[in-house]
Amino acid sequence: MNDEIKVAIVGQPNVGKSSIINALSNAKLHVGNFSGVTVEKKEVFLKRDFYDIKMTDLPGIYALNAYTPEEQVAKDFLLNEDYDIILNVVDANTLSRNLIFTMQLLDMHKKTILVINMVDEIEKKGGFVDKSKIEELLGIPVILTSAKENRGVEEIISEIIKVYKTPLAKNKIFYNQKIEQRIEELAKILRKSPHFKSYDVSRFMAIRLLDRDEDVYKKIHDLPIFIEAHNALEKMYKDLELEFDEESTTDILANERAAISYNLQMETIDVDEEEGSLSEKLDNILIHPVLGLPIFLFFMWALFQLTFVLGNYPMNVIDTIFRETSSFLADFLPKGIFNSVLTEGVLPAVGAIVMFLPNILILFLGLNLLEQTGYMSRASYLMDGFLKRFGLQGKAFVPLVSGFGCTVPAYMAARTLKNPKDRIITMLVLGFMSCGARLPIYVLLVSAFFANHNPGNMLFFIYIGGAFLGLVVAKILRTVLFKGEPEPFVMEMPPYRFPSFKALGMDLWIKTKMFLKKAGTFIAIAAMVIWFLSSYPVNDKMVQNYNAKIEQTTDVSKKQNLENELKAKSLEDSYLGSVGKFIQPVFAPLGFDWRLSVAVVAGLSAKEVVVSTLGTLYAMSGANETSKGLVSKMRQNVDFKSAVALIIIIMIYSPCLAAMGTFYAEVPQWAWRTFYTIYPNVVAWLLAFGVYKVLALMGY
Amino acid sequence: MKNISDLKIDEEAVVVKIHAKEPVKGRLLSMGIVKGAKVKVIAHTLARQTWDILSNNTKVALRDEEARSIEVKSIYE
Repeated sequence: MNDEIKVAIVGQPNVGKSSIINALSNAKLHVGNFSGVTVEKKEVFLKRDFYDIKMTDLPGIYALNAYTPEEQVAKDFLLNEDYDIILNVVDANTLSRNLIFTMQLLDMHKKTILVINMVDEIEKKGGFVDKSKIEELLGIPVILTSAKENRGVEEIISEIIKVYKTPLAKNKIFYNQKIEQRIEELAKILRKSPHFKSYDVSRFMAIRLLDRDEDVYKKIHDLPIFIEAHNALEKMYKDLELEFDEESTTDILANERAAISYNLQMETIDVDEEEGSLSEKLDNILIHPVLGLPIFLFFMWALFQLTFVLGNYPMNVIDTIFRETSSFLADFLPKGIFNSVLTEGVLPAVGAIVMFLPNILILFLGLNLLEQTGYMSRASYLMDGFLKRFGLQGKAFVPLVSGFGCTVPAYMAARTLKNPKDRIITMLVLGFMSCGARLPIYVLLVSAFFANHNPGNMLFFIYIGGAFLGLVVAKILRTVLFKGEPEPFVMEMPPYRFPSFKALGMDLWIKTKMFLKKAGTFIAIAAMVIWFLSSYPVNDKMVQNYNAKIEQTTDVSKKQNLENELKAKSLEDSYLGSVGKFIQPVFAPLGFDWRLSVAVVAGLSAKEVVVSTLGTLYAMSGANETSKGLVSKMRQNVDFKSAVALIIIIMIYSPCLAAMGTFYAEVPQWAWRTFYTIYPNVVAWLLAFGVYKVLALMGY
Repeated sequence: MKNISDLKIDEEAVVVKIHAKEPVKGRLLSMGIVKGAKVKVIAHTLARQTWDILSNNTKVALRDEEARSIEVKSIYE
């Protein structure tokens, strides 16, 4: 058996951690989730010199005072998991800021290796990083790397093995005398408890307590020493804050760490800050107060054009493949229930979802590019002022706009929002951005009921109206559910960087795998259920009657009509039809008959289904949104008020099952899931009812 | 009392005190915006709602509220 070395890779965001991991040769990458949360967990497996090295890449973290859920994951891992070595990656360009966090890590007094990345950028400026001096001052090994030039990366592995074999070196980082005195005092109290027997653990816990770390405070809360520790702590807070003339001991420690880090940088890095770097020049244009916004809007427009124009070609190919496969299997497999479920239920539904894969990949490639180059944070900077008025954050713009394409990738794009409140509000209103699949329904209803108006304008009005409503709802949610202070906005704007194609490719591959997995499981099952509900029970007598009639007639169009009538009658008698009649009272105040009700409910499985269901139910041949027959049938059977109510329902109510499944996967809390499942439908109904009543009063 | 939103573009200053509450304060501290740090305004949006400041080689975007919460003094004082 080889020895296993467990390494935790930690660092602040934007230090190039992933590019270091990608540069490791002969490494096996495994991607999953941290248990219970949708934070991506990357693990790297390596074999060297009879050692199995397992490295866990923790999410970017600015400080142990965790702020975002991802930071909390990283912190929990560092504090509670079992590992041998901390690999702390820092950016040579912003060493002093990065070292503030390194100080917090060194408080733990575990085996730590400092990887100073992007040294090439310092050297390019004619600078120099004094490696041995940093090693001497911090008391830990240091490796200078440039993932871009593949420099020093292999050295990391040999250093890990070396550090694993050597005993832990002495701690070299000490704070001001007055603080050290308190740390010792508090650690002594903690050591009375069997939980903190070791000197290092008690010292670290004491520092965390002085740093007002609530997670650690909770840890000691139920221990017998709590009262003693608590009283000592309260006195220390008061005394230290008085002695240092600061509001909080957190600030005192932060100032201490910042001072040590700053001095360390001054002593070890020698570089002249040049003015007018490329980053600076780009920012002069890209975040220009006047030009910045139009440029950003152009980028967005281009991205969506690419997504939907370019994505169209593979979309048609995938569609054909799925259709051909199901018609082949329908003939090839023995007739029966299995055949029908597969070729009429599962394959078309899975195909309809997989069809969106190219769109999703292009959109994500674009978004990843924007994120990796550093432009995304500029976009957030530009949009923040506008979105703030609605209680949203600058970064929310990207998922919101993605929502016009497809709600599924939009929910995933919301991951870029690090603050949980911002993220949940954004996700809750994403459904208001009408997705591409709802377009056919609008086209049908507009051409049937607004024939005298310019259909383009009507569609634009529907889309903009939905978006505006979404923003208003966001504002309401923010004031009602998240009362109090507006969410703060403090965000690093990293320098512009050339993206790594390897990392982009890797990310796309992972996204594809996860997406296909979901399409193959969740969506396939949902499709099976819908198919079953709409196909059973079968009224054999009626089918025989119709088949006899169909055989008797010679007129092709009459035959077609009879077949459609049979379909409609069968659907009416099916479980789905019963569901439609059962729920019709709900929609009766809006003037919907059972057919509209069924179409609306069926639309929950996928919005594409609404038009095809209406087509079948109103018994028209080859129904699609352009067929004149359906348009006139709709006009005869549905009155204007109900049509407007239907448009409003479609605009607002729950998105498709795939989108809902994505939301559930992204949001683990049942309270939010329940709220998300109910509120859009309530809002949709109320608004539709209100408009219906107003139109009735106006005499329509 | 001066704060970051009083600075002009390209003007430098030294941080005196951060009035923001936790967790914003902690976030600012971890980005190197601490007492005594030098800051420079790089840009702000047209409506002066969002600010881009440079401190210790790190660019940070802030909202007007956060910019106001960072008290500064002239580098010559």
